[in-house]
Amino acid sequence: MKARTSESTSWCIKRQSVARVAPAPWNWRCTRAVGLRVSASGRLETALALLMAQHLTGFPIKRASNLNSDEIFRRLVDSAADYAIFVLDSEGYVESWNLGAERMNGFTAPEIIGKHFSVLYTPADRAGKRPAEHLQIAIENGNVEDIGWRVRKDGSRYWASALISRIDDASGKLLGFGCITRDLTERRFSELRYRLLVEGVIDYAIFSLDAHGYVTSWNLGAERIKGYKPEEIIGKHFSTFYTEEDRAAHLPEMVLRTAATEGHFTGEGWRVRKDGSRFWSNVVVTALRDDEGNLYGFSKVTRDMSERKQLQDALEQHSRELELRVREREESNAELEAFAYSVSHDLRAPLRAIAGFAQALREDCDASLDDRGRDYLNEITSAASRMNALVQDLLDYGRVSRIDMPLESMRLADAVTNAIDQLKDDRRGRLSVNVPSEFFVQSHPRVLPQVILNLLTNAFKFHLPSSTPDVQVFAEKRDGYVRLSVRDNGIGIAPQHQERIWQVFERLHDRESYPGSGIGLAIVKRAVSRMNGRHGVDSAPEQGSTFWIELAESPSTNKGNDD
Amino acid sequence: MTNEPVLLVEDDPSDARLIQRAFGKLQTAVPIIRLTNGDEVVFYLSGERPFDNRATHPLPSLVLLDIKLPRRSGFEVLQWVRRQPSALNRIPVIMLTSSRHSVDINRAYDLGANSYLTKPETASQLDELAQKVQSYWLGMNQFPDLHGGPSQTSRR
Repeated sequence: MKARTSESTSWCIKRQSVARVAPAPWNWRCTRAVGLRVSASGRLETALALLMAQHLTGFPIKRASNLNSDEIFRRLVDSAADYAIFVLDSEGYVESWNLGAERMNGFTAPEIIGKHFSVLYTPADRAGKRPAEHLQIAIENGNVEDIGWRVRKDGSRYWASALISRIDDASGKLLGFGCITRDLTERRFSELRYRLLVEGVIDYAIFSLDAHGYVTSWNLGAERIKGYKPEEIIGKHFSTFYTEEDRAAHLPEMVLRTAATEGHFTGEGWRVRKDGSRFWSNVVVTALRDDEGNLYGFSKVTRDMSERKQLQDALEQHSRELELRVREREESNAELEAFAYSVSHDLRAPLRAIAGFAQALREDCDASLDDRGRDYLNEITSAASRMNALVQDLLDYGRVSRIDMPLESMRLADAVTNAIDQLKDDRRGRLSVNVPSEFFVQSHPRVLPQVILNLLTNAFKFHLPSSTPDVQVFAEKRDGYVRLSVRDNGIGIAPQHQERIWQVFERLHDRESYPGSGIGLAIVKRAVSRMNGRHGVDSAPEQGSTFWIELAESPSTNKGNDD
Repeated sequence: MTNEPVLLVEDDPSDARLIQRAFGKLQTAVPIIRLTNGDEVVFYLSGERPFDNRATHPLPSLVLLDIKLPRRSGFEVLQWVRRQPSALNRIPVIMLTSSRHSVDINRAYDLGANSYLTKPETASQLDELAQKVQSYWLGMNQFPDLHGGPSQTSRR
């Protein structure tokens, strides 16, 4: 230590502007520290301790006349293990070296004292004469603050925040320099990581505003989502992103006010891109405050939710359409009902008239008719009755498609008996039935007999002219289903026709050979499917056919003990 | 066998003619008065013009009533009849319609129909219907008194 002669201790710290060599992205408290003057009798270390105290607390010290104590110095410097605190002479040679400096730089005090402090700089900085430049600034301004890379003894680098202060004696003559260095590598990297993260994020527009709402930073995501390049938008007011309506409603101001008073604002809404197109955004605005709580800006994270919004809108649209269709369907069902009613009433009235008057003609005017006239009358009567049957079949088909079909457990044998009772004139030849009375199926009590009746009618109808119909009805259980089969010895069906026959109005034969509307099997198919069952046919030409239906087996009910 | 007429309420002229013919073929022909809409039935039964002369428009022994009618449906007519404060409300009414809907059938009985018949498909079935209606409703069946006020027992 060079200059400590006088016992009088008069300290002063002059307020001077701090020269910054590198921009500090964060608020460093030591910026208030300024050039030091130490009296000739003062100790350099004490001055340094004061500087450090100021550095740590942020409070400028104007007078500290009784602080030239070794004890204070040691306590302060030693406790500052996270700070490299060292003193340089006026040429930049290291004069003292604390534990923090040893930790940070790897040099022990004996190793470094007497060496020039430029060994702490990177080769590039040394080549660029940065150490000398720093000292020169400190000499001129009293102070220099630098943030940059420094090198450890082992050659590794660390990101340092360094403050070099000029130290004078009482007469103003340069004694040397006090240096305080902080290792900010961790911070530097988290800062870098943060910046890389923010800059690299493309799914989110992340940008910052000043306290008045002017854009101060702009990431790649913001560029991608909003369409502005950073140079196009930085300095512009963020209300640019809002729709005219929202601007007129003072929404941007409201957003900032909410963020300022509540800390943040979250919302969704339409925003405008550079090209004028709109997108649905999800926005989070956060107020940024310094350590004293002064608002200095806002960070804003915006997400383009257009796709989600579109999906959501599409979904809502779909559900609305679905509701509409359901309603339309209900309406059209009601219309169908009315139509069916109208058909059954109005369409059949002329048919009754045709058949009725043909009969009246036959009875009342028989004398004036010859055989040909009577034959024509028969044609009229038969056509009317065919049309009547057709209308009835269509109504039945419509009914099995439309009506509510609540299923209940039903004894299959009862349905078969019911159907056989309705068979009437169509029953010719032999009919054998083998349906165990303990078979119960899930079915509709009115529809199942009709289905069976249609199968029976079919079986008797399509017989070979050469043989008497022989129809067998039998049932068997199959994997939770009961299969009811109706086997005939009739004309059979070629494999290529076995699908077609289940369609409405599909006929394989002319009407004269085998009369019928061509709806009977379509009714079977529709009705069985509505009773959650299956249908099918096994057949070959002239080998007869076995039509079958399968319905879910159900447990017998208690009321089924009456036989 | 009564001499009072049967009121046939049928808007379809063909149906009406065939029904009249079927009744006409019977051994003892019953006079049939045909009306074509619901309002006419109400006017006829209440003796309003042009049916205000009971000598030419006597109260019927039976009403054969279609459901689908112009102006006032068969159901409305039936309801009107059964709500009459006079003995008129006793008149036997048979629905004769093409509707086989259970909704219609149940409603007719709920409203107080005495019978519900559907129009037959063929002329011979119609003959049979006419014959049976006449023998049962106009022969075997006992007629209520339609004149004067309601009996005391009918008031509850």
